[in-house]
Amino acid sequence: MIKRLIAGGKHFLGLHYPGRNLRVFPDDVFLVSYPKSGNTWTRFLIANLVYPEKHPDFANINELIPDPEGITKRHLEQLPRPRYLKSHQYFDPRYPKIIHIVRDPRDVVLSEYYFDIKRRAIADDFPLDKFVARFVKGELNHPYGTWGENTATWFYTRRNSPRLLLVTYEALQSEGARQMARIAEFIGVPANTERIAFALEQSSADRMRELEKKQGHLWSSTKQTRQDKPFVRSAKSGGWKRELSEASIAEIESAWGGLMQELGYELAVRSMVHAGTERG
Amino acid sequence: MARIGVGKHLAAGVKRGLGLHTPGKSLVILPDDIFLVSFPKSGNTWTRFLLANLRFPDEPATWANIDRLIPDPTGTTKRDFDRMPRPRIIKSHECFDPRYPRVINIVRDPRDVVVSQYHYHRKIKKIADDSPIETFVARFLAGETCPHGSWGQNVLTWIATSEGSPRYLRLRYEDMVADTPRELRKIVAFLGFNTTPEQIAQAVERSSADRMRKLEKEHPDQHGLMRGSRKDLTFVRAAGSGGWHKDLPVPMVEKIEAAWGPIMRHLGYKLSTQAPSEAPDYESLGIFSGSTRQ
Repeated sequence: MIKRLIAGGKHFLGLHYPGRNLRVFPDDVFLVSYPKSGNTWTRFLIANLVYPEKHPDFANINELIPDPEGITKRHLEQLPRPRYLKSHQYFDPRYPKIIHIVRDPRDVVLSEYYFDIKRRAIADDFPLDKFVARFVKGELNHPYGTWGENTATWFYTRRNSPRLLLVTYEALQSEGARQMARIAEFIGVPANTERIAFALEQSSADRMRELEKKQGHLWSSTKQTRQDKPFVRSAKSGGWKRELSEASIAEIESAWGGLMQELGYELAVRSMVHAGTERG
Repeated sequence: MARIGVGKHLAAGVKRGLGLHTPGKSLVILPDDIFLVSFPKSGNTWTRFLLANLRFPDEPATWANIDRLIPDPTGTTKRDFDRMPRPRIIKSHECFDPRYPRVINIVRDPRDVVVSQYHYHRKIKKIADDSPIETFVARFLAGETCPHGSWGQNVLTWIATSEGSPRYLRLRYEDMVADTPRELRKIVAFLGFNTTPEQIAQAVERSSADRMRKLEKEHPDQHGLMRGSRKDLTFVRAAGSGGWHKDLPVPMVEKIEAAWGPIMRHLGYKLSTQAPSEAPDYESLGIFSGSTRQ
């Protein structure tokens, strides 16, 4: 009862985290991705593009590009407009403008595996194959659905919409300047080559690692976690080719092969291509 | 002005403390919950009556008790939610939500949905009596007539994530109208309820359009769906399918089919451009189910 009254009081003062009950403004821009798909990197990229004078780092990123699940309602409604908001949510029809970051699920699962070790959700020696099976089935440590569910809700509902910009993590890595130019145009930020190059440099894996070393113990997503494991890990794509077993790859591709192909990810287990097509 | 605002806030805080607020999206979902999901105006209320009458035969469903029997996160208080017998059957108009453990998804031909919603919005005075249907269809296509996305988006989020999952049952409103007991048996099998044919017949009888109309006439202000609405228009309207053939101008039909043709065909709704003799083809959307859950 007392707990409820405190919650009621917090609500009254606007000190609760609104989460999915967020009030959306018509000029909001959402940076949407499944967890472990480069959302933090993209937050740095966009913060450095939009607010270069604020010197984005782990100390102020939650303020510059906040997560409605991590800051209070009152704070959210006082932010300068347009707001740039981070989100891991599945489809929400109210989001007016969306930058959708998508990453190869075979790399997402690896990233999530190492992050779960870092935050002590699983032990160091937890079998990766077992982790992949749970990932595919949707037995997760977060409420955002499976990779396939989450990605499909955005991709199929908005794939031809001018209000959604699809950017893959892999393209951001291989041709950062070009993808950043697309993002800048989409959000209407005048950006010349220098400004984009600056944002890329300020958000490089090396610089983010350096910042993490200094500030990792302060940032909300890493402060309670093991400090012997980095948050900014390999910052590369294709690690799954070395680390995932063939059975795990097959498991992922048989679940989501069709969607992966539509997104441009080539399947590794050829026999899965046919099986995936059959399921449509 | 400020004082009124504070008073309102304070009342909301106290309500929350007592569990008298509606939980909305903050609803705590239990692992055995069953969600009855549909885009608005797709037969959700009728199905709520059917399921209430099936599950609670000792308490025939009315407009007064339906929010307690088959609760609505935006219409039922948290306290009533917490007191419900389990498993709970919960009404929802939301797009895909991965937390819903089991889902009964009712879909309806969007050409009928738009006509139904048009009349409903006249009844609740959201639009003027003589508001042109053309304007309404344009807003409907853009997803601006309700907060649950457009018809196409709402339906797609479920198809793309859940089709083929053993935790997901999709029924068409049109099939329910054509043979209600048959479709109810599908629901019963999906939920694993022990139900006799007599119980099914009774639930159908107690949820008939005639009975629902009679109940509506007796208590026209009882339910949140029609409180304060025009009494010269009814909530339970035609209760049939295919009304769009006469109510929807051809250019409007064409617009809807152009926007959502593949989804409609996937669900077995024949487009007006298809020959009448042609069988519905359940066209593949080329969508791959994300659902691999057991």
